[in-house]
Amino acid sequence: MNARMFAARVALPVLAVAAVSAEVRAAEFDWKKFQGKTVTFLANNNPVAQALLTNKDDFEKLTGMTLKVDGYQEQQMRQRLVTVMNARSDEVDVFMTLPSREGEQFAAAGWYADLSAMAKGEVAKEYDSAGLSQALLKSATFSGKLTSMPMNIEGPIFYYRTDIFKKCGIEKPASIKDVEAAAEKIKACDSSVTPFVSRGLKPAIAYTFSNVLHNIGGTYIINGKSSLCSPKGKEALDTYSRLLRDFGPPGVVNYSFQQISALYRGGRAAMSFESSNELRTVMDGGARLKDTALMPFPAGEAGQVPTVIGWGMAVSSHSKQPDAAWYFVQWATSPAVQKKMALQGIAPPRPSVATDPEYRKWIDEEPVRKEWQAALDVLATKGSSEVGYPIVANPESREFIGQAVQDLILKQKTVDQACADADKALDALIARK
Amino acid sequence: MSDAAATLTQDRQRLELSALSAPAVVFTVAMIAFPVVYTIWLGFQSFSSTGKQSFAGLANYSKLMSDYEFWHGLWVTIALYLLSLVLQLVFGVWLALALFHAKRLPGIVRSLFISPFMMPPVVAGMMWLVILDPSLGAANYILQSFGLPPSDWLASPTWVIPTIALIDSWQWTPYVALIVLGGLQSLPPSVYEAAQIDGASAFKTFQRITLPLLLPTIVTAAILRSVDLLRFFDIIYITTQGGPGNASNTLNIYGFRVGFEFFNIGYASALMLTLTAIVFGAVLAFNRLRGAVAW
Repeated sequence: MNARMFAARVALPVLAVAAVSAEVRAAEFDWKKFQGKTVTFLANNNPVAQALLTNKDDFEKLTGMTLKVDGYQEQQMRQRLVTVMNARSDEVDVFMTLPSREGEQFAAAGWYADLSAMAKGEVAKEYDSAGLSQALLKSATFSGKLTSMPMNIEGPIFYYRTDIFKKCGIEKPASIKDVEAAAEKIKACDSSVTPFVSRGLKPAIAYTFSNVLHNIGGTYIINGKSSLCSPKGKEALDTYSRLLRDFGPPGVVNYSFQQISALYRGGRAAMSFESSNELRTVMDGGARLKDTALMPFPAGEAGQVPTVIGWGMAVSSHSKQPDAAWYFVQWATSPAVQKKMALQGIAPPRPSVATDPEYRKWIDEEPVRKEWQAALDVLATKGSSEVGYPIVANPESREFIGQAVQDLILKQKTVDQACADADKALDALIARK
Repeated sequence: MSDAAATLTQDRQRLELSALSAPAVVFTVAMIAFPVVYTIWLGFQSFSSTGKQSFAGLANYSKLMSDYEFWHGLWVTIALYLLSLVLQLVFGVWLALALFHAKRLPGIVRSLFISPFMMPPVVAGMMWLVILDPSLGAANYILQSFGLPPSDWLASPTWVIPTIALIDSWQWTPYVALIVLGGLQSLPPSVYEAAQIDGASAFKTFQRITLPLLLPTIVTAAILRSVDLLRFFDIIYITTQGGPGNASNTLNIYGFRVGFEFFNIGYASALMLTLTAIVFGAVLAFNRLRGAVAW
């Protein structure tokens, strides 16, 4: 049988049957299939999970299942997960994960159940898996295995005070150099505010630094070697640390999102480079609602290459009930639930939700929300999810990036020394199996 | 009842009691022994970044010897320990004496003095993090209102250890004071009466009578605080996470990161067992000292 005959006689009918059976499966899909079961969800107690869990009762009513939530702060959640997974325990069915951080590591350790088949198997008609951000799905796929379904889309964005810019005669910055020039002017014009603030806490630095590195045109690995000492790498280290050292608040080396949002919301900072997720916190109380503008971080020599990441929901490979767990993942990442979360300020990983009339109405209520969505659109289209080194030991690589930046902020090393020390440690990490 | 019969009954009773308490004893021993034995076993294992496990022999322990972060962490642990212990013992004794002599102090005021150690360390850490924030915190505001220069506190590699020692001392000095106060109340009044008759000054009485008699109590307080201080974690994790740089990266913080952030459970176990050995060493040394100063 030649190829054409094979296609006509065998392959086409198989494909037709597969298509019909997928339709039938969708038609036969029953949310109550696992009624009476209990699914345990290990959650990071962040705004994404908080927004999701406000709808917990809907899930239990829809499926007849019980959702047991095991919630912790981010680091404690990972600590619990490491313990559970190393013990090969089935205590956790579904957990939240950050593919850009631990994806490679958890995938290589075999902690994720493969969702590829599940996403094609028992799927509710309204689920629309093709409507999820393909970039985020791709970033959650390791060695051909889909490891998690995206819950949100986020990344660091640039918040700045229009009133201070106006008072000091500064235009909206178009480049990283403009940011530095604006900071210089603000320092001279209004000494009561911190000109610029971003992450200075060692493990948190990679999140914002990566955006600066990519905008400048740098990358973490060149020819299999760490490249912080490349001209672009050094420029990025120097620029980021100089912005924080010369224009940041005292004690910036202990600053992560909590301190940054508090400083900016309190009117004590003119420019802030922080997560898009912090919009709700920053606008809390309404003081910054009318004097803040938002955009992706201004361009470097390589243009704008914003950092884009998203939390995902994964099914544990040790779960004894992966199908029931998949029902929960499916519900939590469905268009209806993601729309509800979007109306609570969680940026949706589905373009269809982002264009939903109700969501657009919410966005149009405040100019700052419009700018926030516009910035997120840039993140979604141009973003890079490379936060730290794209290696299995990604979390550890962030330590060395953070150390190099802190050494420069604290003037403990020169740029050459800091990048050389970091590259040496990072090369060892890249070589490690 | 003959002697033989009585012995038989006693033996039977003893056997019954042993049988009844055996489950509790076995459970308690298992609960203590299992984690320790498991950690020792983990210390001989190697874990790759992906969690793959293999027998490593003594490799984790030999790695300790050449690991800069280990030696740095040990130095930070000891520096923080000594500074905090001295502060807490000196101010604890002073506070105990003040409370002992302030007979008319209302109970509520006494309770206020000793209240910090009842606060969860995480809450204390968060509270001090806000107070010591160089930009927004009250500490620098107060310093500046007296014309003094502001400090970077927890954000300064130079000042981070003294600052953490101060936070811990704020929280635990009252605990030391409470122990010493108990010791003071048990001192024999006759010795003081004799000193008064001999015309001893208040300072001489303290130096020659109170302090020597209190030494066993102070050493007990030092043992209790040593165990806590050498495995000090919560406040450091909340306030600095071992930073800035690695200026407050104690062995405990380092071990936690190696184990739970970098997933090298084998090396983390070796680190923690080394720390446990150090804690045991300190307790044994203090126990000997307590024997030497007992009266």
